[in-house]
Amino acid sequence: MASIGKDIAHDSAATHVTGESVFLDDLAPLAGELVAGFVPSPLAHGRLRRLDLSAAAAVPGVVAILTSKDVPGHNHFGPAVKDEVLLVEDEAVFIGQPLAVIAAESASVLHAAVKAAVVEMDELPELFSIDEALAAGAFIGSPRHMARGNLAAGFAAADRTVEGTLDIGGQEHFYLESQVAIAVPGEQGQMVVHSSTQHPSEVQMMVAEVLGVPFNHIVCVCKRMGGGFGGKETQAAQPAMMAALLAARTGRPVRFVYTKDDDMRWTGKRHPFKAVYKAGFTMDGRLTAVDLKLYSNGGCSTDLSFAVLERAMLHSDNAYYLPAVKIEGRVCRTNLPSNTAFRGFGGPQGIAAIENVLAAVAADLGVDPLDVRQANCYGIADRNVTHYGQLIRNNVLPELFAALRAECDYDARRAAIAQFNERSATHLKGMALSAVKFGISFTRRTMNQANALVNVYQDGSVIVTTGATEMGQGVNTRIRQVVADELGVAYAAVLVAATATDKNNNTSPTAASAGTDLNGAAAADACRRIRERMAAVAAGMLARPDDGLAAEPARVRFEENRVYDERAPDRAVSFAAVCCQAYEQRVSLGERGFYATPGVDFNRETGRGSPFLYYTNGVACTEVTIDRFTGELAVTRVDLIMDVGKPLNPGIDRGQVVGGFVQGMGWATAEELVYGPKGQLLSNSPTTYKIPGVADVPTDLNVRFLDNPNNDVSLYRSKAVGEPPLVLGLSAWLAAKDAVRHADQAAARDLALPATGERLLIALAGARNGSRGGIEESVPA
Amino acid sequence: MRDHVLLHINGRPTTVAGDDAFLTLSDLLRKRQRLTGTKVVCAEGDCGSCAVLIGRPVPAGDCGPGGMRYAAVASCIQIAFQLDGAHVVTVEGLRDGRGLNPIQQSMAACHGAQCGFCTPGIVVSLYGLMHDGRPAGAAAVRRELAGNLCRCTGYEAIVKAAVTTDRAALKSLDALYPPGPLAADLTAAAAEEVRVAASNGRSVYKPTTAAAACRFRAEHSDCSVVAGATDLGVVYNKRTRPITVALSLNSVAEFRGVRRDGNALYVGSGATLSDLERAAAEHLPELGRFMAWFGSPLIKNAGTLGGNLVTGSPIGDTLPALTVLGAEIDVVGTAGTGRVPIGAFYAGYRKTVLRPDELVAGIRIPLPAAGEAVKLYKVSRRKDLDISTFGAAIWTRQTNGTLADVRIAYGGVGPMVLRMTRAEDALRGKAPTLARFEAAGELAAQDVTPITDVRGSEAYRRALARNILVKYWHETTGGGGGEDDHDGGGTGDGTGEGNGRGAVSNTDDATDSRRPVIAASVG
Repeated sequence: MASIGKDIAHDSAATHVTGESVFLDDLAPLAGELVAGFVPSPLAHGRLRRLDLSAAAAVPGVVAILTSKDVPGHNHFGPAVKDEVLLVEDEAVFIGQPLAVIAAESASVLHAAVKAAVVEMDELPELFSIDEALAAGAFIGSPRHMARGNLAAGFAAADRTVEGTLDIGGQEHFYLESQVAIAVPGEQGQMVVHSSTQHPSEVQMMVAEVLGVPFNHIVCVCKRMGGGFGGKETQAAQPAMMAALLAARTGRPVRFVYTKDDDMRWTGKRHPFKAVYKAGFTMDGRLTAVDLKLYSNGGCSTDLSFAVLERAMLHSDNAYYLPAVKIEGRVCRTNLPSNTAFRGFGGPQGIAAIENVLAAVAADLGVDPLDVRQANCYGIADRNVTHYGQLIRNNVLPELFAALRAECDYDARRAAIAQFNERSATHLKGMALSAVKFGISFTRRTMNQANALVNVYQDGSVIVTTGATEMGQGVNTRIRQVVADELGVAYAAVLVAATATDKNNNTSPTAASAGTDLNGAAAADACRRIRERMAAVAAGMLARPDDGLAAEPARVRFEENRVYDERAPDRAVSFAAVCCQAYEQRVSLGERGFYATPGVDFNRETGRGSPFLYYTNGVACTEVTIDRFTGELAVTRVDLIMDVGKPLNPGIDRGQVVGGFVQGMGWATAEELVYGPKGQLLSNSPTTYKIPGVADVPTDLNVRFLDNPNNDVSLYRSKAVGEPPLVLGLSAWLAAKDAVRHADQAAARDLALPATGERLLIALAGARNGSRGGIEESVPA
Repeated sequence: MRDHVLLHINGRPTTVAGDDAFLTLSDLLRKRQRLTGTKVVCAEGDCGSCAVLIGRPVPAGDCGPGGMRYAAVASCIQIAFQLDGAHVVTVEGLRDGRGLNPIQQSMAACHGAQCGFCTPGIVVSLYGLMHDGRPAGAAAVRRELAGNLCRCTGYEAIVKAAVTTDRAALKSLDALYPPGPLAADLTAAAAEEVRVAASNGRSVYKPTTAAAACRFRAEHSDCSVVAGATDLGVVYNKRTRPITVALSLNSVAEFRGVRRDGNALYVGSGATLSDLERAAAEHLPELGRFMAWFGSPLIKNAGTLGGNLVTGSPIGDTLPALTVLGAEIDVVGTAGTGRVPIGAFYAGYRKTVLRPDELVAGIRIPLPAAGEAVKLYKVSRRKDLDISTFGAAIWTRQTNGTLADVRIAYGGVGPMVLRMTRAEDALRGKAPTLARFEAAGELAAQDVTPITDVRGSEAYRRALARNILVKYWHETTGGGGGEDDHDGGGTGDGTGEGNGRGAVSNTDDATDSRRPVIAASVG
């Protein structure tokens, strides 16, 4: 392998560092281009009584104002269930829902027009939290169930039980590039839509539907995103649809760029969850029964909420064998922007729930939580089937636990921390070692497919396009590596072009960590078929009948721009020469590849199946220090081992691991969504919503990969890496719980995520003896 | 009187006139100059994606032979007219010929960039840190990047890229842009008065003397006084406060500089917070330490102490410190000058006693004398670059084991920074015992009037008002403690033992629990 497995820089690195990489809003305005915006609903739930746009329309420079009545196609949309409206018809269901879209000559004109719109609405009853929705019985869809074993027998076999409720907060994606789209109208109702999207095919289809034109009239193009993290899987579509509506109406290009504040206010987030649990266990800490209810806050519409809930339920085992388990899941309907995909996609919430259970078991028994985790860890020969019935092959979890426990000096540090907490009047330390087992594949079978287009030119250079979208994760780099090795050319000879729906159709979103797995495999398929044809051509070029070397395509090898017959390896022709010859001989140098993940299936009705091709695994041990008087938390040390199989690109994979961990750490310890009483997001900018900064990342950060060559089902024995490391950020929350547990056993139980300074100080209140900090009453913000 | 703004961008002289003078610098760069490497994310100075380097001429003799001094700032909250007489260097201006500069090479090789949106700002910030040969180890890099958010990498690769940069091959900004002609050109521009008129009655006036500034302010009582614009720029961007008539103080030389003035530090109102941080590190180390976590370099390089004072936010980070230190504010007006104690400077929430013709000229900060000590606290959601949930300053004078005098000031728990007079009275003249500090804490908790907002609840703030005095006792008297330093700088952690992770750097460190330690004297 010439480039697979190598630490190759990101394929845009050179232009990222110079600022030359073009993001959508860096494009110079086209002639006549307009800016788009909308009149937002001021209420989270209200009936539109009057919408007077005459003054807005009269603002000089306003070119078009459209309401739901002006939508030529469907105003109703949604990735799974079409239960959202693009422009409010009658009833607004979240603050900021668009009432009317405006195209204007400039941003200041737009601002004046939005201000001039007269909106009168009647307030309707509103719900924001899971608790409020549960009290009101407000749900989206019906309950989902997964179960295994006899729960009653499991509880009967238990020596003890724990029960409780865990609140799990949401998370703002905070991709740096806010949502943006540029719609450029073309001939005969056709349109090109540039979108910062993880799912160009969906943007294409949604734009076509809102305009009422066939799909083939719309080309969606995505060169790159300034971050996505799931937030641009479905919700890039709204600005694209609005820009397209205005472009279709005005016949002029239209650009829609959300400001960061508006993006944070208007778009969905990671689903908050509530986990209600009861667990039975034996005195040696093994679970015998788990009864779990998961409630998610879906926001105002379905979006991806059922898939997110499903993945949460599928990950409620995490690394642990649950002999008898019953999981019920429900999506709550509230008056918030529809919550959506976010790196981990419910997995982190389901895992938080079971890790909380195991911590509660350990606390109840007065033993180290790590002992409980290891006691419940999936086995290799037995206890190795998940609650939904999938056999765990090549299980490395026991090995990971044992390796990290030894490597990070866990037991000695455990003792030192206990001593520290006895002595320190001002600080508390805590530590936790937790795991992730993350299922790879879309749980909806259909989505596990990809196609790729590979075009080889006469000089031997190559262009590949797939449905994969580049958001910083390095999928383009990896696909280049795959194509380079499959064709036997230099990495530099391959380019990955912008993702576009006229080149690759019916693509899946770049999501579920599967971007490289699916699209890389499709590209490899295309390359193999091109190479097969080229081998026939090359065999003729390399044949030396006089020397007894007959043309034999099966013996032709492609390596690093050299094409040779393995029987005479010293005599080679260049890859480019073979390309020229193939062209001369009218042999196709282009190919479309296809891949469908084999074997995965899952029955949503029964909750049974093998939805995942394999699992990506990891463990992390995190130590924290908490100020007893202010509640402030610092993560002081992290040790992490990740199983990503044989990494396709160790440098890029490491970036995914560290970046994912820190993002998860932010979710678990710091990032808090704060809403006002009427549902307005108060933490709506980086001034008030704090993602981790450089100083929040410990200098003592030790990351390595497990040497695992056994993943024989995936591309070059690699493993997907995008989402799983995020889950390990939970170890920071578990460490905070561990620290609080030293002060107060009860307060540590069910400590909500994120473990903010205020929450920690409230938790420490139970331990307050006048000189040890704490907070007397708990008044939530 | 010039009618347009004169600046250099990447070494090229540029004039900005009319409405463009009211663009943010980032818009001027992106929309007018098509320099789109500068990204805008938050438009409020909190993410660093828009970082650019601003160079201004420094006079010869002051601290060297003269030339250009550069600092990285957030261009999204700079308004174009502020840049009169400045050299703006964007990421496009940091190329090494046609190739990548050593920082860029290292960032690419170390996977310091993923999505690429924060990357130009990070390259600019690192260039500002490293170009003039200053030491830039991991701790300095982490401090410099406090204002540069990255959502992809988790920062590890960025810090690695910075510390492995080939410093020897990195060209200084003076090497890229020879300072001689540049400084001469910009010095001349800075010395000129400017008045730019724009549409809708907007205009900006840039005087070069305090007297001219006061005259203008007297004639335009509703004008926006613009110093660093780190606060004004935010509300301007969010369209919550328009700027119609602006008074730009950038070229008033009298307002600049920080100097030792007897037993005080004299800080010009136009001195940047970075200027103050450097001076404090020498003369008032507790304030220097505190300011290291106060805003980001991108903000501190633009924001001024005068601006922090006049904005008058009850959570302004310097205000509790200035209050307990007994700072005095020099005011200049058309009728002359005056000096106001900080305790008398505020009339209410974000309201000062300044008259319409008056401006703050400087701030005199008395330094603690022997036996006196000050300790500063800030509690916020994130350790750096965050607005305080709560801030506190505690000043003491000890004689013979008693607290001869105590001053306690809190921010974030009322409409203004508040002195905790009952808590002070409970401690004054007494020996510093835990019980007394607990009692004082209870009094302080009763006396504050916090609100619940996005940064914390009323109850949390009230608890902090109490707890901070007990924490203070533990850290100063009770045998050790101190803030955990993220960079492993290492301070006491309350066990009475050093944690052995690094050099002890703080004045408040106490390494022997048997020896009562009062925060070391400063000054």
